[in-house]
Amino acid sequence: MRRAHVIIALLLALPPAAAAQELRLPNKEGSTKFAVIGDTGQPGPGQTAIAEQMAAWRKRFAFPFALMVGDNLYGSESARDYQKKFADPYKALLDGGVKFYAALGNHDDAGQTQYKAFNMNGQKYYTFKPQNGVRFFAIDSNYVDQKQLEWLDTELAASGSDWKIVFFHHPLYSSGATHGSADLQRELLEPVLLKHGVNVAFTGHEHFYERIKPQKGVAYFIIGSSSKLRTGDLRKSPLTVYGNDSDYAFMLVEIAGDELYFQTISDKGTTLDTGSIKRAGDVGPNQNVTTQPVVPQAKPSPVQPGPPKPK
Amino acid sequence: MQVNRWLTIALFSSACAAPAATETPTLTDVALQEGGKKTSTDPAVNAHAAALAEFKVRVDAYADLHAKLAKGTAKLAQTEDPAKISAAKAALAAKIQAARAGAKHGEIFTPAVRPVFKRLLAPELKGEDGRDAKAVLKDDAPAPGTVPFKVNAKYPENQPLPTVPANVLLTLPPLPAPLEYRIVGQHLLLLDTAADLIVDYILNAITT
Repeated sequence: MRRAHVIIALLLALPPAAAAQELRLPNKEGSTKFAVIGDTGQPGPGQTAIAEQMAAWRKRFAFPFALMVGDNLYGSESARDYQKKFADPYKALLDGGVKFYAALGNHDDAGQTQYKAFNMNGQKYYTFKPQNGVRFFAIDSNYVDQKQLEWLDTELAASGSDWKIVFFHHPLYSSGATHGSADLQRELLEPVLLKHGVNVAFTGHEHFYERIKPQKGVAYFIIGSSSKLRTGDLRKSPLTVYGNDSDYAFMLVEIAGDELYFQTISDKGTTLDTGSIKRAGDVGPNQNVTTQPVVPQAKPSPVQPGPPKPK
Repeated sequence: MQVNRWLTIALFSSACAAPAATETPTLTDVALQEGGKKTSTDPAVNAHAAALAEFKVRVDAYADLHAKLAKGTAKLAQTEDPAKISAAKAALAAKIQAARAGAKHGEIFTPAVRPVFKRLLAPELKGEDGRDAKAVLKDDAPAPGTVPFKVNAKYPENQPLPTVPANVLLTLPPLPAPLEYRIVGQHLLLLDTAADLIVDYILNAITT
């Protein structure tokens, strides 16, 4: 069984203000390009600004699809809510042909699986392959039962894809004060992810952005601040490579060959975080021999996460 | 805890091999009684397994009823119009509510199976995992008083669906779609997620 391990390298130093709106992705022809948003279902200035930034950046980085990591609609889910909380804010993207692939969060009703614009095809968990060499797996982390675990095991085993990317709502690793790591889901999901060499996991639930130090060869991102923000909730921990809980955010991602590039952008269009993940080598099926990725120390965060220290 | 979990799953899987009670897609008392007889009178099956087997007969009968009613305007299908999703869910809920107008609390979570569920839940809510599980339940809890503990009632639309702790879920007997367990406060719900209906419940299922 093929098992890749991951090497993370920080491509560039965090940008000065003048260069903050530069595209930091290679934007190669034929690469897999996508955006990632999370906890998006609350109308308001944050959601609007993120949707506008996504549309603006798409002119420079033509991503054909976007992942949604859950909590797609907060509160009621009438037809008007779908319009107000999704179709209206992302109209420019939808009109431009962007396909959204949703995972369910704890605020999402199962009826969303039937909404064509979420591309779930009636399933709470599903897989899709937009291009050769990359396969995505949407997981329902609200309800990790034996049936879903068996499905995930089977689909990952059968995928044969070079890149295996999972996305779901609850972060298996997190430095959030409100929620923190989803230990119980991790106990069940992580062994399956490791067994099949999953490379990257995108999650939400926490209303901030956090790039986690790769854990057992898997790179984890939390991007739950695309419409809701919980300022002061990120308690920087040994898990944290970079975090931001003061700006709404979304991610742009590009996969070219053995490298995945990411750029996290705020509602103001500034680049919060950027870097790349490089896969290298084959690792046997025994997870104990997985090589821990090398993670160069990132430059100090421009935002010091966490609440102010008491005087 | 892990051993207990897999023993439970194995036991339930074994229980699932009991012959199905009926092809009839309605929850008639006659069919349920037949299903109960085929398992609970078998001297080789202990009371725990018999209660779980009867529970399976009952949830399968509900799933069959659901499948029969989820047709026509009540069929949930892929659509670009979310109004159709709401309308189909409402139509399905109305049909199920009508078909189960006489359904009572305890029809699926029978008095015999309730203590089995309490015993299955208890160890998963003790110790370190138990603390995590309780934190998850508290984390995603709907607002107090918003969930009606009433058979055939709608789960409130505006409230989050509490995440079921993964360790708890693996301990409980598996359910056919579209049924799911949910824990609200100390209480266990059996929820029809396609119709957003409360199918049955166990009050004070969590005693730890």
